[in-house]
Amino acid sequence: MAGETVILEVFIFVLMILGALFMLVAALGILRMPDVFTRMSCNAKSVTIGLGFLLFAFMLHFRELGVGSRALATIAFIALTIPVASHRIGRSAYLSGVSLWEGTIRDELGEALKGTREGPHKEDAGDEKR
Amino acid sequence: MRRGKREISIFSGKGLYGALVRLVAFSLLWAVLTQGGGGWIIGVPAVVLATFLSLGLHAPISWRWRPMGVLRFIPYFLWQSLRGGIDVSRRALHPKLPIDPAVVHHTLLLPPGPSQVFFANTINLLPGTLSADLHEGHLTIHMLDAGLEYVMELKRVEERVADLFGVELKRR
Repeated sequence: MAGETVILEVFIFVLMILGALFMLVAALGILRMPDVFTRMSCNAKSVTIGLGFLLFAFMLHFRELGVGSRALATIAFIALTIPVASHRIGRSAYLSGVSLWEGTIRDELGEALKGTREGPHKEDAGDEKR
Repeated sequence: MRRGKREISIFSGKGLYGALVRLVAFSLLWAVLTQGGGGWIIGVPAVVLATFLSLGLHAPISWRWRPMGVLRFIPYFLWQSLRGGIDVSRRALHPKLPIDPAVVHHTLLLPPGPSQVFFANTINLLPGTLSADLHEGHLTIHMLDAGLEYVMELKRVEERVADLFGVELKRR
């Protein structure tokens, strides 16, 4: 019985460390990534995974129905809302012509589609802004 | 994406059913958040308000997930999200910051409607992709690494989403 508890404790410990590491990566991504799209890309994934690990660790630690169901609901909401939020931010950045990082490869089709609808204003997205 | 307005009154049979489903779902959520009841003085108005708000924002339209599709999709989604997290961590922590971003366009094989929106949101958690714009079945995607074999990857995700919604993929 005691052995099982130790294994569980270690497992919870590992989950929490991993969760914290992914959250650290999210913060590092904000600092290191060069433009809004790469930052969003980095953040959406690492925050979701990081919070997932932390909440899963809470579930295992408390082992109560009330805590577990709430943690599960929180995981579900995070997995549902973070992708939507990052899509909205990415979309508004793209359509308002926020400059892409200089190393970004642009698809030719995007250039061809340009002007067929409002935005993306790629022609003035380059050097003038910022 | 702005969907065409579908006027379904909540007093019609279908509308009432949709409203009831949401009412029950929000009540269950309140019960979970408050650990099985309590606080219903605040809960009942909140649930009713949330139901009306959600109906106002998003009228009931007919779509459903297939139960078996959900069971197949969840582990796939979790695994891919984990891959996405690990991939992006490797890139963010690497001293040389190995990214090679690109903006690509992808024509969806999924039929127009909820499955397309769901797909656009799903890929935000998958390795290296961020959906930037969804317009008439064309998805603009920001890739963290242009070298990834994204066409095959996206096709696989589309197949999974089609399986989840029980819809057919268009043939090219």
